[in-house]
Amino acid sequence: MKKIHTTTDKFSRSFNRRQFLRGLGACVALPAFASFSGAKLLAAQASNKLATTATGAPLRSAFLYFPNGAIPSAWWPKTEGANYDFSRTLAPLADFKSKVQILGELDDRAALPEEDGAGDHARANGTFLTSVRLKKSATDIHAGISIDQVMAKNVGHLTRFPSLELTCETSRPSGACDSGYSCAYQFNLSWNSATTPMTAESSPSQVFERLFGAGPPGQRLENLRRRRQEQRSILDFVLDDAKEMQRRLNPQDNDKLDQYLTGVRELEVRIQRAAKLGDPKDPMVDSPPDGLPSSYGEHLELMFDILTLAFQTDSTRVATLLLAHDGSNRSFSEIGIPEGHHDLSHHFNDASKIEKVSEIDLWYVQQLAKFLQKLDQTKDVDGNSVLHNSMILYGSGNADGNRHTHVNLPLVLAGGGGGTLTPGRYVKHGSTSAANLFLSMADRMGLENVTRFGDSTGRLNNI
Amino acid sequence: MHHFYYRRLGALLLLLVLTVAGERAYAEDDANGAAEFHKSIEPILQNYCYDCHGDGAHKGKVAFDQFKSDADVLTNRDLWWKALKNVRAGIMPPAKKPCPTAQERDLMAHWIKTDVFDSDPQEPDPGRVTLRRLNRAEYHNTIRDLLGVDFNTQEAFPPDDTGYGFDTIGDVLTLPPMLLEKYMNAAEKIVAQAVPQMPLTEPKHVISGKRFLGIGNDGSKGKDGGLVLSYYSAAAVSNTAPIKWAGQYQVSVDLTANEKYVDNEFDYNKCRLIFTVDGKETFRQDYNREGDKHFHYDFNEDWAAGDHQLAFQLQPLTPDKEQVRNLTLQIVSVTLHGPAAREHWVPPDNYTKFFPTPVPTDKKARRQYAKELLGNFASRAFRRPVDDKTLNRLTALAESVYSQNGKTFEAGVAEGMVAVLSSPRFLFREESTEPSNGKERYPLIDEYALASRLSYFLWSSMPDEELTRLANQGRLRDELPGQVERMMKDWKFQGFVQDFTGQWLRVRDILDWPIDARSVLQREEKADPERERLRTRFHQLNDKSDEQLTKDEKTELAEVRKKLFANFRRPPKVNFNYELRNSMKMETEKVFDYVIQNDRPVLELIDSDYTFLNHRLALHYGITNVQGDDMRLVKLPAESGRGGVLTEGTVLVATSNPTRTSPVKRGLFILDSILGTPPPPPPANIPPLEDAAKGATNVLTLRETLARHRADALCSSCHNRMDPLGLAFENFNAMGMWRKGEYGVPIDATGTLASGESFTNVTELKHILVTKHAEDFYRTLTEKMLTYAVGRGLDYYDVDTVDQIVARLEANNGRASQLIAGVVESAPFQKCRRTRGGQPVALNMEIP
Repeated sequence: MKKIHTTTDKFSRSFNRRQFLRGLGACVALPAFASFSGAKLLAAQASNKLATTATGAPLRSAFLYFPNGAIPSAWWPKTEGANYDFSRTLAPLADFKSKVQILGELDDRAALPEEDGAGDHARANGTFLTSVRLKKSATDIHAGISIDQVMAKNVGHLTRFPSLELTCETSRPSGACDSGYSCAYQFNLSWNSATTPMTAESSPSQVFERLFGAGPPGQRLENLRRRRQEQRSILDFVLDDAKEMQRRLNPQDNDKLDQYLTGVRELEVRIQRAAKLGDPKDPMVDSPPDGLPSSYGEHLELMFDILTLAFQTDSTRVATLLLAHDGSNRSFSEIGIPEGHHDLSHHFNDASKIEKVSEIDLWYVQQLAKFLQKLDQTKDVDGNSVLHNSMILYGSGNADGNRHTHVNLPLVLAGGGGGTLTPGRYVKHGSTSAANLFLSMADRMGLENVTRFGDSTGRLNNI
Repeated sequence: MHHFYYRRLGALLLLLVLTVAGERAYAEDDANGAAEFHKSIEPILQNYCYDCHGDGAHKGKVAFDQFKSDADVLTNRDLWWKALKNVRAGIMPPAKKPCPTAQERDLMAHWIKTDVFDSDPQEPDPGRVTLRRLNRAEYHNTIRDLLGVDFNTQEAFPPDDTGYGFDTIGDVLTLPPMLLEKYMNAAEKIVAQAVPQMPLTEPKHVISGKRFLGIGNDGSKGKDGGLVLSYYSAAAVSNTAPIKWAGQYQVSVDLTANEKYVDNEFDYNKCRLIFTVDGKETFRQDYNREGDKHFHYDFNEDWAAGDHQLAFQLQPLTPDKEQVRNLTLQIVSVTLHGPAAREHWVPPDNYTKFFPTPVPTDKKARRQYAKELLGNFASRAFRRPVDDKTLNRLTALAESVYSQNGKTFEAGVAEGMVAVLSSPRFLFREESTEPSNGKERYPLIDEYALASRLSYFLWSSMPDEELTRLANQGRLRDELPGQVERMMKDWKFQGFVQDFTGQWLRVRDILDWPIDARSVLQREEKADPERERLRTRFHQLNDKSDEQLTKDEKTELAEVRKKLFANFRRPPKVNFNYELRNSMKMETEKVFDYVIQNDRPVLELIDSDYTFLNHRLALHYGITNVQGDDMRLVKLPAESGRGGVLTEGTVLVATSNPTRTSPVKRGLFILDSILGTPPPPPPANIPPLEDAAKGATNVLTLRETLARHRADALCSSCHNRMDPLGLAFENFNAMGMWRKGEYGVPIDATGTLASGESFTNVTELKHILVTKHAEDFYRTLTEKMLTYAVGRGLDYYDVDTVDQIVARLEANNGRASQLIAGVVESAPFQKCRRTRGGQPVALNMEIP
């Protein structure tokens, strides 16, 4: 009688993040995917420096959204330039002073009420990366393509995933959202087109599976290959099915079929690309177990872990992460604040409420700092850190949550952009559209054909 | 760029066409409408409306004497639709102004419907429904009924967008690329789970945990038939495995380690489990608090035929530790796989369900069998007969798989099923019409489409065999009333109850709505400014490290600490946990289901003397004499204030903030979901009214806070409608518990509605709602249910449809069956607009 094997959590439902992380730590310590990156470097050179640093490493952009703005007095440093002091809220970033820049006086004017009246949270969220006015409607959705998707359309062919859309929002309120705006505006950052939001993934285990394949370490690549093989024949079948169905439908319904066909084509392209670019390297860490992490903080950290892995393995170069939707009324009992964030953000200058909101703002920045630390400790193929070869924008479409303002947004741009950015400063940009920043980021990603975006008026030169 | 110009050009052309068509129509029809306006309607407007909306006044940007032409009067449909709603609901004219007589109101309504909306009550416009994708609930239920698999769509798919408060709205059920990928993955997982892909498999014998007898098994069972053993007491249980064939066996043990969560208190107990086979120890493992983790262990055994003894021993390891979280180890099951030798293999579970006859060996016969199996499956999955062309492609797909080396016939058919579940014809609900006689203005949808509309409305799932058979025979419309009745009696009707109440009454929110029980309860204590001051000071000082504190501060800290904790008493504890929240969810669902199943008047949803409670929820509500875990019908004591959905925990909690009630949100909920007259959203840049309690010298009650700010004219017009409704419910705290006061001040639940009626408590308010506002409620409920059922927002042309159902309710004492029948029989449910140049499009298919 002998014991063959013992797997303690083959079906584990609850989740031990530390276990996943320990694995990740080991993975980070690997001499960074050197064999894998050789082919990558060649591919990058051949493609006209798209999303590539001068040293030939991948250049990435990520956009992270936090809700309800930030208490301005606690957010903004007192002095400008390279010798700026860290404010209370941004203090957790002090360790990365030379690697982050604080962007002042950038605006999201597309989120101003104008004729549309109430709905600042929907607008703040929906315009943040689209920089266009939203159609005020519960069902007739119309925004604009978002900057991450503009990038993905240009550089997406270089990686196995054109872009990643992540969220830590796992449910939606039943019933209506903000003041007559569709919930789609308030829960999506990324838009593939004016009418198609890029629904984001909230389950850590599913993102992981999508990136690296299902199953335990060592078996994932085989699973991925088998999956691709099966999907090919099924895609052929459903494509015919969809085309035939499209012929029977009227024009409005055809929009739905167009969405379906777009999805089919993207999968096809991904399968072809996988054949060309080769399989990802199995990170050899345990997959995050199914189900939701036990706390919000853990959820955020997991998403940051996976994003780090995705960048490190060059699975994608463009990502968005919604930490929470604008208007989020999450209660922060874990730091002794039982009230809802949104309720508190309308503090009416009540000192104790301002204090609590500042604490929440600080908590969010602490999570950002943990993410930056991971990126900073992860070596890229050119010997620099992944943080050096990235542009990580962290911000909110609401500036002062109390008054719902959308000018002088709280924004932090972290990373060196592969040496193209000049971090370590607090710079005021003089009431300029945030879309100008997006254009300047797009330039660095190697995009040549983007002359305007949203309400842009030009480039942001001093970043 | 070109694209843009084409679009513009298209829009211009369309405008041109519409203008020409519009003018022709106007010339013929609408001269009468304009004449009627000047003759009968204008005088009414002059009498009752011009004070604010005429003679130079244009409150809310509305003036009834500023039309540019007669055509302008008649084409301004949105304005008249709003006017009709407001006049009917008694919102306009405001309470203190003179009101039109009933005849005048009817005259106006008739003119608006006939001349402005051009509606024909004999043949109402059914509107247009955008192609609907299955939402998460519908997908789950459809897979359940199609394949018998309980697939967790909440985890697998992102939340669906909602429109008009429901997730059944075709327009907003988008299909982003990621979702398509998820659908394809889901299809593969589901088929792999349901459909056997091998004709024979190693035998498997599962022994559930509760069948292990001995010390520790007292007959009570855990989830899924497991045996629950406590960490705190020793146990020894065993079972015998009768082995028929000698050979290699694999023994698998499945366990879970569970706990009852207790806030901020931990349990450090440990236990040890020993598993023996035929008296020999096979494994030994220690367990801490493991957070509901699942453990799985495999062992190989070389067994002779005969009985083999399997036994577990549990030893508590920490007799001295405090037992806080009721730690338990559940032996879920022991599974025996084997013998490994192929000659003993058996068909897998469910084999004959999917492959009822043996697989032929002949190539042609195999193809025919695959075609038959896939044809049946695809027709069920597509909810209408599959055409031959599609079927041939499916069969070819299956054949391409099973012709490969090492692949079974079963695997090929399974692959075809994956393709069916990935098809847009499964994911979307494609509809067709009855053959046209060319004369009807709005064609009937065909019976397959009707079967699907019925089943997704009343079951949130696919049609069953009976519905499909009737549709196939063309008899479904004839047998509609009987079928609706049958469907309401079916257990699957709970799908409707859950999804409709889940959204209309926001029951879906209750399970994770943020509530901070302690803060809620603190408001019920007397305000104590001195204590608050001490608490703040204590935290200020306590946050500093020892080195940072001055000598004086150290002394002060010691004093503050002493004072603060001298008369310390723990606030009463409420564990606002999953069980309690789930009981609230069930309460609302059961009450709704009861009203429908017993064909009660729907007004009982607002005001009644009963509800459904279990022991836990009754205790929470302060109602005595309810025992047990199961929800049961309870007759409520008169003084409880309960009865009706508005005083159920679900609604009370989901309209509260995490730390306190929100009368504004509660009032808004009633206006929107019960009376159907939501106020416009607040102006931009204005924070919620009730947060503006600035500059008060003492702690204000919410009523005082609200009163201060209703003084602002800008806010008053809406808050005069919301606040009195919401304040009437102040006796119920943010967790739905009854309370007498807030901060030691007794609750004042009196009020006067904007429409003029006064009440002294919530019971009287509910009475007013069912006596004076019954029609408003009938209309709102009808609108909500119709929106949910047909999957689109209502428009001006639906007024007739809704009026007809409301009239039906009024004539029948508001019986629930009339509402459901009214929706099912309505034009929007039964018909559709013509598409493509007036010709309804028929599906290209053959009916077998």
